This record gives sequence, structure tokens and C-alpha cells, in this order.
Amino acid sequence: MIQVLFVVIAAVGLAAALGTILARNLVRAALYLIGFFFTVACVFVLLEAEFLAALQVLVYIGAVAILLMFGIMLTRNIQGDDPSSAMSVWKVPGLAAGFCVFAVLAYGITEQKGIGTRYSWAATERRPSLEQVKEGATATGRTEAVNEMAKVVGRELMTRYLIAFEVAGLLLTAALVGAIAIAHREEVDPSAARIAPRSAQETGAPANGPGSPAIAVAAPAATESH
Amino acid sequence: MSNDIPLTWFLYFAAASFAVGLAGVLIRRNAIAVLMAIEIMLNAANVNLVAFWRYGPDRPDAGPLAGVILAIMVLTVAASEVAVGIGLILLCYRRWHAADVDRYDSLEG
Amino acid sequence: MPLDLSRIKYDLFYLSPEIVLVVWGLLVLLVDLGLARTATLDVRRRRIGMLSLIGVGIALAAAAVVCFVPLFVRGDPHLERSWISPESAAYFLDPDPTIFFGTIAGDLQSGFFNLLYVALLGLVVGLSMSTSFTEELGEYFALLFWATVGMMLLTAAEELVTLFLTLETMTICLYLSTALEKSRRRSAEAGLKYFVYGSVSSALFLFGLSMIYGMTGSTSLEAIRDVLRTGGTAGLRGNVAGAVSILLLMVGFGFKIAAVPFHQWAPDAYEGAPAPVAAWIATGSKLASFVAMMKVFLHGLLPWSNPSTSVLGPGWIGIVAVIAAVTMTYGNFAALAQRNLKRMLAYSSIAHAGYILVGVAAVSVSTVEAKAAAAVLYYLIVYAFANVGAFAACAWLVRDKNSDDIDDLNGLAYQEPLLAICILVLMLSLIGIPPLAGFFGKLYVFMEALNQPQTNQPISLIWLVALGLFNSVVSAFYYVRVLKAMFFRQPGEKRLLPASRAIAVPIVLGTVVVVIFGIVPDYLMGMMQAAAVPMLTSPIVVPKVNDELYKPKPGQVIPKRPPVVSSPEANKAYADQMKRGMGTNKGGGGPAPKKGGMPPGTKKGAGKAKTGGGAQPGKQAPEKAKEGSGASRTMPGRSQIGAVAMKAGGA
Repeated sequence: MIQVLFVVIAAVGLAAALGTILARNLVRAALYLIGFFFTVACVFVLLEAEFLAALQVLVYIGAVAILLMFGIMLTRNIQGDDPSSAMSVWKVPGLAAGFCVFAVLAYGITEQKGIGTRYSWAATERRPSLEQVKEGATATGRTEAVNEMAKVVGRELMTRYLIAFEVAGLLLTAALVGAIAIAHREEVDPSAARIAPRSAQETGAPANGPGSPAIAVAAPAATESH
Repeated sequence: MSNDIPLTWFLYFAAASFAVGLAGVLIRRNAIAVLMAIEIMLNAANVNLVAFWRYGPDRPDAGPLAGVILAIMVLTVAASEVAVGIGLILLCYRRWHAADVDRYDSLEG
Repeated sequence: MPLDLSRIKYDLFYLSPEIVLVVWGLLVLLVDLGLARTATLDVRRRRIGMLSLIGVGIALAAAAVVCFVPLFVRGDPHLERSWISPESAAYFLDPDPTIFFGTIAGDLQSGFFNLLYVALLGLVVGLSMSTSFTEELGEYFALLFWATVGMMLLTAAEELVTLFLTLETMTICLYLSTALEKSRRRSAEAGLKYFVYGSVSSALFLFGLSMIYGMTGSTSLEAIRDVLRTGGTAGLRGNVAGAVSILLLMVGFGFKIAAVPFHQWAPDAYEGAPAPVAAWIATGSKLASFVAMMKVFLHGLLPWSNPSTSVLGPGWIGIVAVIAAVTMTYGNFAALAQRNLKRMLAYSSIAHAGYILVGVAAVSVSTVEAKAAAAVLYYLIVYAFANVGAFAACAWLVRDKNSDDIDDLNGLAYQEPLLAICILVLMLSLIGIPPLAGFFGKLYVFMEALNQPQTNQPISLIWLVALGLFNSVVSAFYYVRVLKAMFFRQPGEKRLLPASRAIAVPIVLGTVVVVIFGIVPDYLMGMMQAAAVPMLTSPIVVPKVNDELYKPKPGQVIPKRPPVVSSPEANKAYADQMKRGMGTNKGGGGPAPKKGGMPPGTKKGAGKAKTGGGAQPGKQAPEKAKEGSGASRTMPGRSQIGAVAMKAGGA
């Protein structure tokens, strides 16, 4: 039963990913991408990492995909659909390269033998079972990690992965500061003189032009992913 | 469970998504579409990590949650990369009025 | 709390330079916010620049303390140690060089490189003050600082999680800095190209990392090596997944060090970025990426390097050697055609990455790994200082002539003879002319590539060394073009204004470094060798835990793990190593410190003792002494070049 469920989810996910890379319309591509993110969240649920599934939905769908949508809307050409999303001459070689990469990876996964005393991937038919927690006792080790993942994640981030956690905070701050610095619109845009009149109306018309949505977009995206 | 999902199925799914993302990077010319393909690749790696965490006995020195923590960090990195990427794309768009990577040609290449 | 947290308050000591830089970056950002309304751009630039320099100075002091205080505490057993508490002394005497539960290293290598990065950052910050290329000054300096923090932690990372995160921090800060010169289109394009290539390669790198995690079950580099060693002598034979993951990791690292065929971003990014940012990308990020690459490939993945005796056997040394060869050749020949100084420097950086990769391949085949790794580190340091000086010259050109072609250097010798001579020295060092440090860097690297144990079939890297020598000769042609412009042409109408201190200091400092380390290379080599030892080996940290958590359940089998190093002999061995590194220049390849009773590695015949690193030093030392009698055990001074050359001829 659960195998059927996984096959369905995986098929939907792969279809969504293919839709993302093959869709001509960028907005459709972004919607396919959201579908792909959701199937990945479902896969995380199947792997008993529900906390991570929730994080995936919040961060990827809630922040990254929205940011991509904003980017698409702010860089659209004036005439309807984006003609530059047309396929280039690289289409067939690109797909062929992807297929070759998949073939090599699939072969490697099937033929992988465990190193030393470790398990072989192909021979692992089922996941290690978790021990049953007795009445009134607290779970330990991996059982606790799976059953109370949020607590264990918090504990690990504050002890063993303290450096990683702090560096992640630094990374987010740097991305926030830098993205605003490069994307905010100056008072007098040096290339403004070269803008054609029609697009000047488009891009410069409202007082809070595309500049401030860029700022507003970058800020929530970065803060929400905390 | 008597019939659980074998580990390799998860790995095939991740490998296939990774290949799709890689093909997307090679095919697409629009910078935002390339960014989307990169996100697909990063998600594929995440699936890999969590599957390996759940199905394997990790070494004791790695702690109980190594794969999940790495996946969370990848999430963080991906989000900030998208923010930076959109900022850079907007900056280039304002100069060239096109988001097509092939049009950017002010450097000798 | 199951984990023992008592060490963290001491571990924070090792992080003080990073903390200073992070906080100072925020401070600079806030001060710029306040100044932006009231001051003009030039005044702002000067003030924010001075504030940044003060921050760099504080970080430099912190880095010096972090680097040298542990050495003082460890190096003198008779020291009263009255100036620090007994707990602190016990903390510094702990031979385990990793801190924060084994995620990063707090040893001589990370301490020394922290010092180096902060010094280079000072030069780059000074360079940034000389020209006005951006209006977002606070953000610019903050991003430079945070990129440096990423570099420092990347050099120290002992674990894949930390490695990935710090790699991304450093790169993202550099993407952003590249694009900050908003008045020019080429800066935005350079930033975007750098970003797209960088993100794709980091996604590929991450997939390779996830497969390595799957195969070994741990993210710590030492644990990975432990697991790979149990795989016996098969290495990568038949292990397609392992080979693919190594290829993916090479893609990730290859992008960062700009090796061919992952170099496409480098010329455009260097040309489009403002000169100080290009200097930082060319030196700091390359240095940090090389050290990280050495750690991953030579510490974590060493058992997979060359299980067979042919270069193209199942192991990663073949691919590294091939990439090194292609990179050297392509970089040099492409640089011959360049008219733009920054692009020429970009291609020359690519070529130098090729030489350094030869060194990386050499470490895995050399008799004494630490010596070969020291050669690579020495080369990196010398290259960094020479390149910062060269980019300072670019900044000078941009400041006064607004373009950075080689022809803009015409007649520099008539205007500023002293600086022209300094630039001459830097170019000669990059070519590799004795007695400058660049020559010794190349010499050590190539010698280590040939310095192999005496077996029947050593891995022959002689073709690589020959190619390297040929490429060095070729490289002379394009560096000499710079010298011709400076010395043999008349200056044009637009002359260069006198160089400010901000531009003169990097050039002069680079010259001084290159000359001094060329005349006395042994001191730096000794120190690098002492630094390389903990870089290539570190014990597995199993933190003190509540035993209840990890007691084996009935019937459950846990793989055996080795105990943490904490014996008096290990103490003494480590202290001896430190002393040898700090003291004389004869810090030759002594026996590796005891690695805490790790399971004896498999010994593949008499020759290749290096992979049997877990064997007791008592057993190992006589064997190494036997092998080493042919190779020189001490630092190769100039008098021994002949002996080694003869030996190389026979290899």
C-alpha cells in the first residue's frame, strides 16, 4: 500500500519537475515548481520527517516560490509571454545529458555495495524499526529523533551544530543586506536616460515603483526562512 | 511493516529529479528558469540526505539527526541563494531590459 | 543535556577573530546608515574605510592571540603558566585539535590562516578606499568582512555541514560584492554570471556530498576516512556511486578554484568586479577553497586516492592530475592573448590553480604527506600576496585612467620607479624566478610530486612536472609584457597620479613577503609543515555523552569506534611537533603523532606506509626512516636540490 503511494507521489513529482523545465510560460513553470516542492514535502512525510516537511512547505513554497514569482513579474517583457523562454538549440543535447546522468546514477545506486561493514543500498528493503517506548519512559536516540523531531532538532542545533547554526544566521543576514543593496533603485537611475518612453511609464509610473517591491520582497523572504 | 519502501526507490527519485534539474540548467536561457532548475537539484539532494538518514545506522559521532540537520541547512542556503539571485537578475534586467542570459554581452566573454 | 557542553566557553576563544569581524560588519553597516544622510560620498568613503581598518586591526590582534597563545602554552613544559588558570592550561594542552564537538578545528593551521586572511583583508580594505566605485559603502565593507568570516571558518571546517555552509557564505558574499559597482554594466553582468555558475556547481557539490554521507553514515571528515579505510585496498574499483560522488565534489571545488573546465566564470567575474573584490576572489576565496579541498580529498577521501599504481587506475588522483594538466596549459595559453590586465591576471590565476593542483596530487603520493601539504600551503601564501599586489596595480589604473589595459601601464617606471620595481618583483615571483618565493613554491610542489616511496611501480607524475615546467616558461611571456610596458615604453598623455598609501602598501608588502620568503623559505615551510599535520589528521570526537543513550540494546550491534586521544604520550608528541614547527628550520618529517589507537590501517606492501596511518608510531618510525634515507628527510635547502634532482631523474 505504502509502496503504491510512493510511486504515485514520485510520478507526480517527476512530472512537475519536467513541467518546470519544459514550460514555455514562466509563470506556469513556477507553478509546476510549487507542485514539485509539495511532492518533496510528501516524500519527507513518508520518511517520517514531518518537521522537515513543514519547513519545506513554509520556506520553499511560502518564500522561495513567491520570490521567484515576484522576480518573474518584475522582469517580464512588455509583449505578453516571455519570448526568451523559447527553447534554444541546447534542448536535445541538454535532455540527453540529463538522461545520461540519470542512467549513471541509477547504475551506481543499484550496484552500490557497502563499504566495509556498512549496509548496501540495494539490499535495504525496509527502514530500521524504532524501538517501542515503554509507558512513562522517555524516548532516546533515534526513536526520540523521529518521534519528537522538533525538540531534537532544536537541541542539536544548539549543541553539536552550533557553528553551522550561527553561520546560517550570518549567511541569511549577508544575503538580506546584499540583496537589498544591489536591488534597490537609486533616486536617479544612471540608465534611466536610455529607457524608452513606453517602458518608462511601465517601470517608473507609480511612486513606489518596482524598487520597493524588490525591497519588500527580499526582506520577508529572508526573514521567513529563519 | 512487511512491505516498506525500499531505500533505492527514494534514491532513484532523487537521482531522476537531479537529472531533470541538470537538464533544465542546460536547456533554459532565462535566468529565472535556470534558478528554478537549481532549486530542483537542491531539493533532490535534500531527499537523498533524509532518505540516507532514515534508512541507515549513522555512526555515533554524527548524532541522531545528521541528515535532517544538513537538509535544514541546505534549505537555508537555497532560500538565501534565491534572494541573491533575484536581486542580481533585477539589477541586470534594469540594465538590459531582458532576462535572457545570452543577451548579456558587455564583457568580452 | 546529553552532550557535554563545558568546553564551549573555552572553544569560543578560538572564534574571537570571527566574532570581531561579524560584529564589526554590523557596526559598519549601521554607521553608514547614519552617515549616508549627512556626508558626501568621499567623506563617507574615508570614514567608513577608516572604521573598517580599525575593525581589521582588532581582528588581527585577536587572530594573533588565538594563533600564538596556545603555542606558548603548549610549547614550554616548564612554563609556570601562572598567567592563565589551570583549567585553561588543561584546555590548551588537550591534544584534540577540534573544537565545538569536532565540527571545526582550532589548531595551528586554522590559527595561522586566520591571521593570513585578516592581513589580506586589511590590504583589500585599504585598496577599496582608494577608488570610488560604489555608493553602498556600508554594505560593501560588511559583505567583505562576512566573506572573510566564511573563509576563516571554511579553512577550519572539519565536517561536511560546516564546510558546505561556510563555502556558501563566502561565495554569496562575493557574488554580492561583485555586483556592487552599479555605475557600470559589466559589474552586474559579472555578478550574475558568477552567481549562475556558482549556484549550479554548489548544487552538484551538494549532491556528491549527500552520496558520501549515504556511503559512510557520517559527515565528519575523520569518520569518513575511517569508514573508507575499512573498505580495504579495493578503493573505488567497482564503486560507481563513489566515483560519481567524487566527480561531483570535484565539480564543486573545481568551480571555486577556477580549474578548467569550470573556469568560465573567472575571466568575466574578475574583469567586471571592482578591483578590490577581484583581488579578494582571486586570493582569499581561492586559498580557502584549496584548503577545504585538501581537507576533503586528502583527509576524508584519502583511501580512495590511488589504490593502484597507475595514474588512471580507480582513484581520484588520475582526474586531479588530468585537470591540473589541462588547467595549467589552458590558463597559460589563454593569458598570452589578453590585452586587459585584469583578464590576464584572471587567466594567470587559473594557471596557478593548475600548479597547486599538482601539489594536491603530490600529497597523496608523497612519502611524507605533511611536507607535500606544506609545499602547497606555502605556494598558496606566496601566490596570495603576489596577487594582491598585482590587483592593487589594477586598482591604481582604474582610479586614474578608468580602464585597466596593460597598455595603461606604459612608462610607469619613469613616473614611479620604486613601485614599478616592486611590480617587477611581483611578476617575477609569479613567473617563478629564483631567488623569489614563487620559485620555491613551484620547486617544492614539483619536488613533492616526484618524491615517492621506493616501490617497484611508483605512480609517475613526471609528465605532470614536465608540463608544469614547460608552462612556467610559457607564462614568462605574458608577465614580461607587463614589464615591457612599464619599463620600455613611454608614458601616454594621461599619466598616473602618485599612488596613495592604500595602493602602495599592498604592492610593497607583497614585494617584501615574496623577497623574504624567497631568501629564507625554510621558516615558513617549517611552520606550514607543523600546520599541515593537524590538517591531515584529527581524531574522531565522540563527545562525552550520557551513557544511557548509547548503551547497546540486547542483540544490537554497534560498530566499534576508537577512543578519543587523551594520553600523555599523545600530549608529548603533539608538543614536540609544535616545538619543531616553531623552532628550527629543520622541522623535517618526523613520525606522525599517535592517533589514539585507531584500527591499524591496511598495509599494502612495504612501500605505501602512508595509508597505514593508524599504525603505532613505534612501528612506523623505523619503516619511514628506512624509506626516507633515500629521500631527504629535512627541509630541502638549496644545497640538496641537486641530490633530489638526481633522484627525480631516477624515479
